[in-house]
Amino acid sequence: MDVLFIEFYHNTGFYLWDYRYLIMIVVGLVFVYLGIAKDYEPLLLVPIGFGILMGNIPVFQGLGLSIYEDNSVLHYLYFGVTQGIYPPLIFLGIGAMTDFSTLLARPILMLLGAAAQTGIFITFLGALALGFAPNEASSIGIIGGADGPTAIFLTAKLAPHLIGPIAVAAYSYMALVPVIQPPIMRLLTSRKERLIRMEEPREVTKREKIIFPIVAFLLCCFLAPAALPLLGMLCFGNLLKEAVVTERLAQTARNSLIDTATILLGITVGASTQGDIFLVPSSIGIFALGALSFSIATASGVLFAKFMNLFLKIKINPLLGAAGVSAVPDSARVVQMVGQKEDPTNFLLMHAMAPNVSGVIGSAIAAGVLWSLMAS
Amino acid sequence: MYGLEAINANNGWAISVVGVSIVFSGLVMLSLVISQLHKVLALWENPSKIKALFKIKQPEDQSDKLQEKEIADQAIFTESQKEVVKQFGLLIRTMEDHFSLPRLLHLAQISDLKNPHSTLNNLLETKIIIPDGSGFFTWEKETFDKAIL
Repeated sequence: MDVLFIEFYHNTGFYLWDYRYLIMIVVGLVFVYLGIAKDYEPLLLVPIGFGILMGNIPVFQGLGLSIYEDNSVLHYLYFGVTQGIYPPLIFLGIGAMTDFSTLLARPILMLLGAAAQTGIFITFLGALALGFAPNEASSIGIIGGADGPTAIFLTAKLAPHLIGPIAVAAYSYMALVPVIQPPIMRLLTSRKERLIRMEEPREVTKREKIIFPIVAFLLCCFLAPAALPLLGMLCFGNLLKEAVVTERLAQTARNSLIDTATILLGITVGASTQGDIFLVPSSIGIFALGALSFSIATASGVLFAKFMNLFLKIKINPLLGAAGVSAVPDSARVVQMVGQKEDPTNFLLMHAMAPNVSGVIGSAIAAGVLWSLMAS
Repeated sequence: MYGLEAINANNGWAISVVGVSIVFSGLVMLSLVISQLHKVLALWENPSKIKALFKIKQPEDQSDKLQEKEIADQAIFTESQKEVVKQFGLLIRTMEDHFSLPRLLHLAQISDLKNPHSTLNNLLETKIIIPDGSGFFTWEKETFDKAIL
């Protein structure tokens, strides 16, 4: 009987534990705390945080429990991440939620979304300089797109072994948008610039809204075909929303479908951060580069807005540039918050949604470009 | 390999420049297309405007002048009528671009607008509201601006 007890004890987490699992459990608890108590991206941080807890219970190999064992349930669910299935489903839901009206009313703001993607490529260079392979550097750079599903999608294609740290870094920084962006925005703009009021956008017709996703899809995917899975789903979702006659499908895409995909993606990405695999020096490099990427993306957007103002008769508020990173709608909310600190009657949220949604398109194109360049 | 050596060895500079250029080109192209989209749609909805673009200017015909004068005469609204017409304009903004006349009349009646039948008749005569050829009608903003504002 003693032998049985001892054998059983050897199979428990108390015997198999390692300090790295403990560190990750603390990280998981912090994520859950931030999500629930601080309301930072709770829909993402709570599933990822709990997934981290699930992934860091020490288990012995052979029982089919770890996400990295071929016969485990988590491994099958993780298939949607490693094969890039969940991100396009999430994009379908995002498309069905997004209103492109402000973008259609002021297409010039789309350039801010393009400018913010510069952060991706600068970080790509930084990652190469730190000794990462080009495919890994591309996956790290995409964190600057501030778009979790895009980062996971590209990493699944180019550097699947880095999915855990990259996904956690991407979602952490997305949740920390209200902390990271405001100091950069204030540093790069004067008070006078922050007080600029935006013109009322023109009214956009229903027909324009219906035609936009089709035109955007055809144009962008002809240019960067590798962006097809993400942009195709984004535009399809938006068409479902705008077509009105497909409202039932749009409802499913923006509610149950995106929620299911988010739960599965969050929990499996979290579970993939197993202490012994996750806590390696390269993860620290990825986190540092991710923060750099995010900051450069924000700064690029703001500086490009200032550059545009040199040529525009009617100036735009340069804070809008920060919304070019595609953390929808958090970065747009941050623009509103920083703008209202200077002038409580200045409403920038609606205008900030234009670069914000163009950032989503921009980061999907950037991911497509990097994928095709690395594949070739 | 680290630093600039690693960037050069992996063709990093070229990849970055190409990547940024493609992202910018894509979004610039898209913004150019969508900035013209509403103009193209406006032409599509009013084919007469397309014809007008290609129409060679004919010497002005006396009968055309008379017809224009007739429309101008009809377009003279009293101040109170102008108010009602503006209210009709607001009602139409809540409807589809191509709207049904009975629906407009119904909305005008439940909104308690003055003389809805005669105002609607005036709007049709002055071509502020014109048929689109498929049983629905459209609001001619330019004619409205000329006649009312």
